[in-house]
Amino acid sequence: MSTLTYKKVNEDFLSLLRNPTKAWYILFALDLLVLAFGAACWIYQIQTGMGAAGKMRPVMWALYITDFVFWVGIGHAGTLISAVLFLFRSRFRNAIYRTAEGMTVFAVMTAGLFPLIHLGRVWFFYWLLPYPNQRGLWPNFRSPLEWDVFAVSTYLTISSVFFFVGLIPDLAVARENAVGLRKKIYTLASLGWRGTDRQWKHYNSAYIYFAALATPLVFSVHSVVSWDFAMSVNPGWHGTIFAPYFVAGAIFSGIGMVITLMVPMRKIFGLEKYLTDWHFDSMGKILLFTSLIVTYAYATEMFMAWYSGNIFEKSVFWDRAFGPVGWAYWIMVLCNCLIPLLCIKKSMRTNVWGMFIISIFVNIGMWFERFVIIVQSLSHNFDPWVWRMYQPTLVDVGVSIGSFAWFGMFFLLFIKFLPAMAIVEMKEILPAPRKNASAA
Amino acid sequence: MSKKLSGVLAVFEHVDTTIDAIRALKKDKRKLTVMTPVPNHEIAEEIDDTQSPVRLCTFVGGLVGGILGFALCAFTSLDWPLITNGKEILSIPPFMIITFECTILFGGLTNLVAMLFFSGLPSLDVSEGFDPRFTEDRFGIWVPCGKDEAEQVAGVLRANGAEEVRVDAA
Repeated sequence: MSTLTYKKVNEDFLSLLRNPTKAWYILFALDLLVLAFGAACWIYQIQTGMGAAGKMRPVMWALYITDFVFWVGIGHAGTLISAVLFLFRSRFRNAIYRTAEGMTVFAVMTAGLFPLIHLGRVWFFYWLLPYPNQRGLWPNFRSPLEWDVFAVSTYLTISSVFFFVGLIPDLAVARENAVGLRKKIYTLASLGWRGTDRQWKHYNSAYIYFAALATPLVFSVHSVVSWDFAMSVNPGWHGTIFAPYFVAGAIFSGIGMVITLMVPMRKIFGLEKYLTDWHFDSMGKILLFTSLIVTYAYATEMFMAWYSGNIFEKSVFWDRAFGPVGWAYWIMVLCNCLIPLLCIKKSMRTNVWGMFIISIFVNIGMWFERFVIIVQSLSHNFDPWVWRMYQPTLVDVGVSIGSFAWFGMFFLLFIKFLPAMAIVEMKEILPAPRKNASAA
Repeated sequence: MSKKLSGVLAVFEHVDTTIDAIRALKKDKRKLTVMTPVPNHEIAEEIDDTQSPVRLCTFVGGLVGGILGFALCAFTSLDWPLITNGKEILSIPPFMIITFECTILFGGLTNLVAMLFFSGLPSLDVSEGFDPRFTEDRFGIWVPCGKDEAEQVAGVLRANGAEEVRVDAA
């Protein structure tokens, strides 16, 4: 890193914005194809009704809510890296934060779709919002579902603003190196940034406060999401551990997704000198730490089910591990508790492709965690008479797969049209050029 | 010959020579604008060490947001007093969540607006007193002055290590 200069950082990072290659277009076309399939499934569901998505009592929350929690969780690592690590002055964040922050915005945009898809009659989504209406009706602010509307929309707004503000100086760099339509767009988007002392002063002040506001927000959002479950009396859901358990899980899954995205990016764009072993070592430590918290939460849930003496809790947790979807529980344990333990070894944390494989397992494991919590708990409720396992259909599986394509579409556009690596922040960790270097 | 010059623009390669030039210009009581590719604490301290008013705006924005969030819950609940979940009409703990979210939302948006306002953004004309190299690896000083003072200012800038000095006409 000592051989890097401001000019070199500009050149290397702006090279990411060169016109897309043929491989990019093929990947993008495939992505759109999968997205079209997901959209077709949703249209079919709207025409047919929610039964098309396999909804049947008692499991009325299934893949859509699983996907919602999964994608909101993915977003959390971005805010952790961009805001929390900024406040801690953690220097390894500078090279990875832009990608992670972009991932946050796109993941929350994906997550935000699922409550709407799950509504069925999506055109009535505005009933969730508090607006004066003829009937004098207002939403129920004592309901966790309404808290979620506020939490997720605030999170999307603030993380998008934070993302955009971070981009302004880099868009100015892109503006000065672009031509034609791109130049016009970057000129507009950079708002006329010149990097004056006055602009930096207010920008730096605002950036600290964005980070300070986003930090409690990131912890609150997944807590509120967890209360969607924990506030109900459903066995398997009604636990006070849910908020910290979900927040740790969200950061765990988000870091997993950051690694999954960054390893191929590093290889394709030749960013080896910017995304070093040090970055993967640091992310590996966060992965290991959050994995241990999640493992502790799984163990606590099991222990409390036994220790509480509550027959419903005991029954639902026994069914979780040894019932008809016990396989999903054990996939979750394998991927979230056992495989990440490999990160104890530094040689594994600095093995980039090894970390990539672990991160894939983490993504799978965290999706299954949400599936297990939501679907299995509902399928094994208080009354054995209503116990029934849910069967996925082509429609809800198609929409779920389509959500990955929706996220992928934004991410592919992002890496080609916006500075996906933070140019200015990367320069900030380099020594400023001095004539009299010994005076520094 | 009455044409007035808008100022002198100097390009520097190093941060320490930029600081030397700032000190020399401040001694002459010149108004100046410094442009840097990255924020630099040393330069910031030389120019202006006062606190940005953005933080106060953010605080006020957050406070107003919190009050509005709580008021929304309280007044709408009183408007149609229906007991749900066995909780009181004015149930403070659940309302705190909406209050918190509105605090963050309004605080964040006020922060953005205040930052843009005090930074003079958006301002899409970047032609005056600017060079594209300031977004790459060069430091710039822009001194607005008349034609009669331009040579003297340019001399100060050159004497302090400017690699390029340009007199920009209005």
